[in-house]
Amino acid sequence: MAKYQVTRELDERGEVCPVPDVETKRAIKAAKDGDILMVRIDYAMSKERVPEAVRKVGSEVLEIEEVSSSEWNIYIKVKK
Amino acid sequence: MIWTGLLIGVLFGAALQQGRVCFNSAFRDILLLKDNYLLKLTAFVFALQMILFVLLSQLGWMQMNPKPLNLMANIIGGYIFGLGMVLAGGCASGVTYRVGEGLTTAWFAALFYGLTAYATNSGAFSGWLKWVGQFQSTLTTADPTYYVKNAGPTLASVFGLNPWIPAIILAVILVLYAFLTKTSDRPTKFNWKIASVVLAIISALGFITSTWTGRKYGLGITNGWVNLLQGFTMNKPLTWEGTFILGIIGGSLVAALISGEFKFRMPKNPITYLQVAVGGILMGFGAVTAGGCNIGHFFTGVPQLAISSIVASVFFVLGNWTMAWFLFMRK
Repeated sequence: MAKYQVTRELDERGEVCPVPDVETKRAIKAAKDGDILMVRIDYAMSKERVPEAVRKVGSEVLEIEEVSSSEWNIYIKVKK
Repeated sequence: MIWTGLLIGVLFGAALQQGRVCFNSAFRDILLLKDNYLLKLTAFVFALQMILFVLLSQLGWMQMNPKPLNLMANIIGGYIFGLGMVLAGGCASGVTYRVGEGLTTAWFAALFYGLTAYATNSGAFSGWLKWVGQFQSTLTTADPTYYVKNAGPTLASVFGLNPWIPAIILAVILVLYAFLTKTSDRPTKFNWKIASVVLAIISALGFITSTWTGRKYGLGITNGWVNLLQGFTMNKPLTWEGTFILGIIGGSLVAALISGEFKFRMPKNPITYLQVAVGGILMGFGAVTAGGCNIGHFFTGVPQLAISSIVASVFFVLGNWTMAWFLFMRK
């Protein structure tokens, strides 16, 4: 499973929108260039919104991995 | 004919769920993400509804029924509703369709929303509603071709114009805005253009079928929740609005199940349940004070160019931005 060298993991499952977007952006802000973040989400809308928020701040979405029914891991490469 | 509410609700719930239509995010994204994807959807669906409502009234299939103007109530209620929707994690429609998606926080938000709306309507807070009611403006619309008798003022009636004129002008501006501005791409099969057309058709059908049952208004959420609670606690008969709510929950549930998006979701931090409950209380109190929620006022009232709905909507947005800033932007 260790596809990426994950620096930090965020568990946003069950959180109310826009908490996943906001916390992801905060984590990117706090991270260093090249860090890999893994964000766990379980809401379909977040699967579309979180990557959009990531791109807005100039970082890269490496992969959106479907873990199980309505559960995803988003891997993010921080770019600064 | 009450069952038509259920049918329209199922369609509306499925469309909201698949279109990811969240008015809470639509307002907030402008401020927080500087993104206008959902705002474009709103602009286009408004343009379509403006034309449809005037056209269908002209044909005699319905009559527009702009809500009465009460600046005091529209402003205070609108602002409180706007604050509440951020805490609740969704607007009136957002919270309702998320009930069907299995978001347990939405169940609490919806319950407290309905309960407080009920209390403001006819319970412990009804004294407040009566007090604020004295500030209601005496302005009304006059044209029986398009409007229900003694309905609230609109942009058309205030300027003494035929309703077609402002509807066409504003619809053109909104369409230009929707199609000429850039936005983020979202990997949704049900994009904003298709979603807008579908929602506008559902809205028009809702207005017509609701009129058949004697309720001359389009889509609305707040009174539906009140009706369900009245039915549950006092055995009152269901209305079009009550079955509409049941339909939204059912439609969203089915759409989420089919697309593999249904799940019982619970937040790690139990405080979230308290937060959404407080949000629901503010929403219920605000919506009844203002005379409508983001569906009754914003989605259905603004396309009728009702002054009350335009004022309330401005304050929905201001309340939303205040709370979004407080929760998410302050350092």
